[in-house]
Amino acid sequence: MATLAPPRPKSYDDSFFKPISLWLTTTDHKLIGIMYMVTGVLAFVIGGIFALVVRLQLTTPNAKVVDAETYNQLVSAHGTTMIFFFVTIFMTGIANYIVPLMVGARDMAFPRVNLLGFWMIPVSILIYYMGFFTGGALNAGWTGYPPLTSKQFNPGLGVDLWALSLIVWAISGIMASTNFLTTIIALRAPGLKLTRLPLFVWAQISTSILLLIVGAPLAAALILVEFDRQFGTNFFTTQGRPVLYQHLFWFFGHPEVYIMILPGFGMISEIIPVFAKKPIFGYGSMVGALFGIVFLSMAVWAHHMFTVGMNIYVETFFMIMTMLIAVPTGIKFFNWIATAWRGSVEFSLPMKFAFGFMATFLIGGITGVYLSSVPVDTQLHQSYYVVAHLHYVLFGGSVMTIFAGIYYWFPKITGRKLNETLGEWHFWTVFVGFNATFLVMHTLGLEGMPRRIATYPGGFGEEGWGATNVFITIASFLVALSVLIFLINLVTSWRSGEIAGDDPWEANTLEWATSSPPPPYNFDRVPPVRSFMPLRDLRAERRAGGEPDPEPAPTTA
Amino acid sequence: MSHRSSRLLRRLLLAAPPVIVTSILMSSPALAATGLSPLLPNAVSPNGHRLYELYLLISIPAIGVFVLVEALLLTIVIRDRRRRQRPGYVPPQWHGNTRLEIAWTIAPALILVLIGYLSFAELQRDFQHPSDSVTDLDISVQGHQFGWTYTYPDNVQVTSEGLGAADRPLVVPTGKLVRLKLSSVDVIHGFWVPELMGKTDLVPGYDNYTWFEVPQPGEWRGECTELCGAGHSTMQLRVKAVTPDEYSDWLAQQKAKAATPSPSASASPSPSPSGSPSASPSGSPSPGGSPSPSPSGSARPSPSPSS
Repeated sequence: MATLAPPRPKSYDDSFFKPISLWLTTTDHKLIGIMYMVTGVLAFVIGGIFALVVRLQLTTPNAKVVDAETYNQLVSAHGTTMIFFFVTIFMTGIANYIVPLMVGARDMAFPRVNLLGFWMIPVSILIYYMGFFTGGALNAGWTGYPPLTSKQFNPGLGVDLWALSLIVWAISGIMASTNFLTTIIALRAPGLKLTRLPLFVWAQISTSILLLIVGAPLAAALILVEFDRQFGTNFFTTQGRPVLYQHLFWFFGHPEVYIMILPGFGMISEIIPVFAKKPIFGYGSMVGALFGIVFLSMAVWAHHMFTVGMNIYVETFFMIMTMLIAVPTGIKFFNWIATAWRGSVEFSLPMKFAFGFMATFLIGGITGVYLSSVPVDTQLHQSYYVVAHLHYVLFGGSVMTIFAGIYYWFPKITGRKLNETLGEWHFWTVFVGFNATFLVMHTLGLEGMPRRIATYPGGFGEEGWGATNVFITIASFLVALSVLIFLINLVTSWRSGEIAGDDPWEANTLEWATSSPPPPYNFDRVPPVRSFMPLRDLRAERRAGGEPDPEPAPTTA
Repeated sequence: MSHRSSRLLRRLLLAAPPVIVTSILMSSPALAATGLSPLLPNAVSPNGHRLYELYLLISIPAIGVFVLVEALLLTIVIRDRRRRQRPGYVPPQWHGNTRLEIAWTIAPALILVLIGYLSFAELQRDFQHPSDSVTDLDISVQGHQFGWTYTYPDNVQVTSEGLGAADRPLVVPTGKLVRLKLSSVDVIHGFWVPELMGKTDLVPGYDNYTWFEVPQPGEWRGECTELCGAGHSTMQLRVKAVTPDEYSDWLAQQKAKAATPSPSASASPSPSPSGSPSASPSGSPSPGGSPSPSPSGSARPSPSPSS
């Protein structure tokens, strides 16, 4: 049986340097997953460089690091890159690698759709960045509100390339979602009933449902933007209803936040039980909370629009819905805490990042409640308070879970562990650097500094912003340093890290039953599944000595 | 689990006072001048001030939840480390506890409903379009790339361009409820004077309303809050409150200037100084007259919307 074999890291070609032809044509979900993840990390680096230029520009009043037009392009590119090309893509990649293994499948349900869906992503990214070489990329913020993106105010190619890029991205996302759902429903191993699915797989189900529903409205909104620009229609122009675009965009845009965080929630739900040596607390309520979030997240979009002048009763509806979404998130939080409570907790690197995630994401959740209150939001909206809030949710949330996931699954993917010393340095620099950057940033918003301003003149009472901005810029370079440490760790550990073995963490789920890295066909034999922790059952049986009774596989699975 | 919950409660009660005291200390106005304010601007207008009070109210449960959850996490980090446990410790294999799970579903929901109720009350109070009977003065504010045109009664217009806002403030009388009609001729802008009240967008195609009442003379800064092009950060805004007498003098002066346009006039000439008493020119922008985007941040000639 594969799980009993000694570590065999070289039995399968685990080096990144495979023939180009293999990378271009493979339909193996693992190689596609790696390509997704590498694309995501590259986008993370590019988006991070944009952010550093932005920070340099904001360090002092009237700075001239870049001019205002370039600045607007950089903030737009930073947002688009991080949201569309890094976090979502990385999450898709890690799920592409792990989900088929977790359900005991050989590959995704539609391997060639998977291949096509992946290759649309580099195309989408290149289309967007082409803007920089054709007279200027999108300069209206990542949200691209018309009429600023209409032909009249934005005659260049940047907006067209942005719209095309995201339409391609949305189609790719719809392909991936369909593929995940089919894989999870149709290709589960015998015995892996829905009630025994790992929570990461449940998270991927909810994410896929969300992206399936909201991907098309995004594409629709952008097609209408292009109609306005190319064919002279008046959907969102000065003569049309610019706010209609905001409704369409945020109907995608807010669920997108959950598309970026739900897989992270799934990872945390996998990691905490393993490192606390306890089963997940409240499996049923965890799954219920996921679907509560899916449902509510599609009824909160207009909370991004509390200042456009809506009817107060409509605003109240969106306010209450937004507040209620804190309830399922709270259930997940308390269940995670209860899972680790009185556990035998080992703070290995994945667990460190999981706790770092909980400590910081909590702040993003709490500031979200302030923002959901319509009256308070009219003060906080479009200020640096919102910038701080969204980075607490996306960086302290999604990115921390991505780090946790990488430290957790890197041994499975490469057969090697990430270096512990570099990992400790990475964790502490990113934790301190991130909080120093963004906790202080809340106060700028409360002082009245709006977001997306290329500079601030000083002399209007903004003198106080200067010192705070200097501090934030310095702290942001600490975050950059942490990412550098992380990248060095990735590269060196991939080449020469400590051999991990098949199941280095004594984990619970099926992906650890096969070799590290898994062979192209994934499993020699899928172990029997009798609970949501099949590997733990397997270890217990092995310790008890006897060969387990084979349970008849339920056909309902 | 009940003894654990009660221990938890005790911890929370112990932790709460220092946090509340600290937060009150932090609210001292000295911090506000350093760019490190932990609090919403304490606006002078009554509606803005009520936002500040609501922010404080929300902070009570917010700080409580923050302290509770971080304390729980820290407890695990300190107490439940494997290193500190006797070898062979097998943790309790809880799979869940329905009563606990229901408790931490209901309790946050109740807190949120309370916050929602308080917010809704404030919405009804200050976010309804103020009626004509309570309004003392109507001013129309029209946004353009990258400045503002203020239209006072009798069609007196003042246009502020970009960084020139300091010399062309929105002048209002103290102690009067001023109702602003907000519109835009080109892209979406945002009107925000943090020390007066929350922001409202200026959207082409329809009018928005906001209001404030300034109790004492003074000047307050603000700026456009909706990315509106390359000159966005230059689209500054100032509101100057003067006594009602000074205001009438100022208005008469502007009217006189408008009647005899001079190149150095501080206010834009109004096309019909003795025209209708209607406070606002047509809010709907004319397609032919829409201004083109200005690539640089420099001030542009006023689009001079006409009635």
